[in-house]
Amino acid sequence: MANEDVQKTLSELSRELQESNARLKEAQRVAHVGHWEWDLETDVVVWSDETYRIFGLSPQERPMDLATVRAMVHPEDREPLYRGVDENLVAGVRPDAEFRIVCPSGEVRTVYSLTSERWNSLPGDAKRDASGRPYKLFGTIQDITERKRAEEALRQSQFYLSEGQRLAHMGSWASNDLGIRWSDDMGLYWSEEVYKIYGLDPQSGPPTLKEYLDTIHPDDRASMARTIRVMHQQRCSSDVTKRIVRPDGEVRYVRCVGVPVFEGGVFKAFHGTTMDVTEHELLTQELRRESAYLTEAQSLTHTGSWACNLLTSEILHSSDENARLYGFDPSQGAIPFDRFYSAILREDEVVLRPKLENAIREGADYDVEFRIRRTDGAIRFLRGIGHHNPSQEIGEYVGITMDITERKQAEQEREKLRQLEADLAHINRVNMMGELAAALAHEIRQPIAASITSANACLRWLARVPPDLERARAAAARIEEDGNRAADVINRLRSFYKKGSPPEPGIVDLKDIIREMTALLRKEAVQHSIKIHSELDEDMPNVLADRVQLQQVFMNLMLNAIEAMKDTGGKLTISSQRSPEGQLVVSIGDTGVGLPAENTEQIFDAFHTTKPQGTGMGLAITRSIVEAHGGRVWATANQEKGATFHFTLAVKSEAEA
Amino acid sequence: MKSASVPTVFIVDDDRGMRQAIHDLVESVGLRAESFATGEEFLGTRQIGRPSCLVLDVRLPQMSGLDFQRRLTETGMQIPIIFVTAHGDIPMSVRALKSGAVEFLTKPFRDQDLLDAIQQALERDGVAQKEQAEIHDVQGRYRALTVREQEVMTLVVSGMLNKQIASEIGAKEATVKVHRGNVMRKMQAASVADLVRMADKLKLSPRK
Repeated sequence: MANEDVQKTLSELSRELQESNARLKEAQRVAHVGHWEWDLETDVVVWSDETYRIFGLSPQERPMDLATVRAMVHPEDREPLYRGVDENLVAGVRPDAEFRIVCPSGEVRTVYSLTSERWNSLPGDAKRDASGRPYKLFGTIQDITERKRAEEALRQSQFYLSEGQRLAHMGSWASNDLGIRWSDDMGLYWSEEVYKIYGLDPQSGPPTLKEYLDTIHPDDRASMARTIRVMHQQRCSSDVTKRIVRPDGEVRYVRCVGVPVFEGGVFKAFHGTTMDVTEHELLTQELRRESAYLTEAQSLTHTGSWACNLLTSEILHSSDENARLYGFDPSQGAIPFDRFYSAILREDEVVLRPKLENAIREGADYDVEFRIRRTDGAIRFLRGIGHHNPSQEIGEYVGITMDITERKQAEQEREKLRQLEADLAHINRVNMMGELAAALAHEIRQPIAASITSANACLRWLARVPPDLERARAAAARIEEDGNRAADVINRLRSFYKKGSPPEPGIVDLKDIIREMTALLRKEAVQHSIKIHSELDEDMPNVLADRVQLQQVFMNLMLNAIEAMKDTGGKLTISSQRSPEGQLVVSIGDTGVGLPAENTEQIFDAFHTTKPQGTGMGLAITRSIVEAHGGRVWATANQEKGATFHFTLAVKSEAEA
Repeated sequence: MKSASVPTVFIVDDDRGMRQAIHDLVESVGLRAESFATGEEFLGTRQIGRPSCLVLDVRLPQMSGLDFQRRLTETGMQIPIIFVTAHGDIPMSVRALKSGAVEFLTKPFRDQDLLDAIQQALERDGVAQKEQAEIHDVQGRYRALTVREQEVMTLVVSGMLNKQIASEIGAKEATVKVHRGNVMRKMQAASVADLVRMADKLKLSPRK
């Protein structure tokens, strides 16, 4: 029974030992930890299975000796390792060591060898030789390759981070609390770059609140202090850009972002970044200034800028002025495309749409004019210039819109004036024709009435008993004379009715025209007690001109002279002379009211009139005719009273005459 | 001075053809004609004392025919006027006729219209001439009265009795009777009614 018990106990113990061994092996395998024994006398090394695996060998593949082990140590670590072990053993220090091994597969692993704490107190195993060296060592060996790699990676990433911070002028910091007392430290941690940004020495650690605030630009200091206080009190985040003054006096713009970090609802610390944004800030300010100038320029020129996709009706950019052109309030936020587009007047939209569609289809630029009804109801003329952005999507345009209402109105005004001028020129001519017709009717009536009366007399002389043939013949002769007189008038009249035909330059005898005009205007002149008097150059040359237009010039200037004297009577003088340049100068003078005191030249402008019934066109037409003939017209004041109008005409050269 | 029995037609027209034609027409019916280009010329030759009339163009170089008509009236020259015009309008003709024109003819006119108007004008002028001659006569007789007789005549035509006249002029009734007899005789008045007609022609204003 006792033997059985012993047997049982032994077998149990054996089983337990086996189990224990199995667990140890498993533990070693999982933890990548193996153990070893080194007999210093024989240099025999005993390894656990895991130790073999760490060295890249199959367990029990071959027996180990120190030389084999030594050969497997990385050549670079071999000498230092063994020297260190020897030195430590002699010094009685635990010879722990980290070193690299080269597996048979060529893989390099980093291992850490630990020698048992109790190596020198193990009974039997701890015997020492005379030099005090132990005969046997026991220890573990751990594969720390992964850890080493991780450490290396961390070191790398830290390097990259700090390098990145340096390059980005960005630092990071952490603070338990930001502090509210002057003496409180500003943080747990400032990265090197933060010190650099502030121009502070990393060796002296994070500054106190007071020191920190001293670095802030005086203008920003109060607001920064306020920000810190609020963050502290409310545990809130912040993002501020402020100016700092470095110890060397340089002013920099620094952006600080801080956020509170909570863990499980409990505030832990503030984390944040500090960035030197000086360049960015200066650029931003520059952009802001430029933008302000641009806005101002747009406002001044009533030009808005925009970018949009005409196909999708998506507005990518619209300047404030662009909105204001349509009467929209830019402060009310983005305005959808349709609101812009629906402001266009229907009749203009009909014309505009195909142009835009065509431009979109062909990817072409466009330049269009259209009218809109602004939100206040006003109709405005706009010009839109769109530039297709070829690198972008179909229908994407950038462009400007201008308010051209004033220009358009001025154009229309000019066109209206031009039309009016043309109308008035026509009316003037028509009126003149009316006056001429009346004057000529009188001229014709006289000879006709005279010839009828003479015919009556003639008949009566013939009816006498005996007939008085002598008197009858005389009467008949007068009838012929009067008939010719009437025919002459009609011939003259006909030359006036060549209206609408183009100017026909021909050789004109001015004396003829002056005679005709004097005859036509004589009655008018007599009515106002005006004498018409001519002082013409005896051998006045002929001129090359349009006869009807010249008649008009004389008519206008003579009527003008009569008009000037109609309340006072006076003398109208027509004279001619040769200018030194050989031109013919014709002058028509009156003794009337004279010229206006100033702006004598203005009297030739269209619509300039001093008469209640005047159209102001007479002199303007006169000037245009004279100038069309290569001459000029001007007015001078007479020495005594009245004014004289002069005009020049090119003389028909002797050779052609 | 030519014979008062030959009527004369004066013509003023600045249009020579018209002037000659009217002149000839007038002569063709046996009347005397005298023509002038301007009113001034006519004024220089006008002779009073025979039946005459004036054919006047409305539009004249120096002054209009209407102004000329007014001027004739102002200077006491009474002559019937026939206006002829190439531009007649109604207001102008109304004004002319109101101012005593005989006729207003628009050129060209029918010769008979002009001759009828001339005839009418000459008749009117004959009556006027006769009237004028009578007035002239009466004025001569009136001027032959003494101042006292003229005074008495004025009072007589006022309808006063001799006694009233005597007290008015401060004389005896008998004296008044003598003056009155002289007045009746010198004025060749057949009756007081006759004397009143003469006073009328003389435009004596009776005493109230």
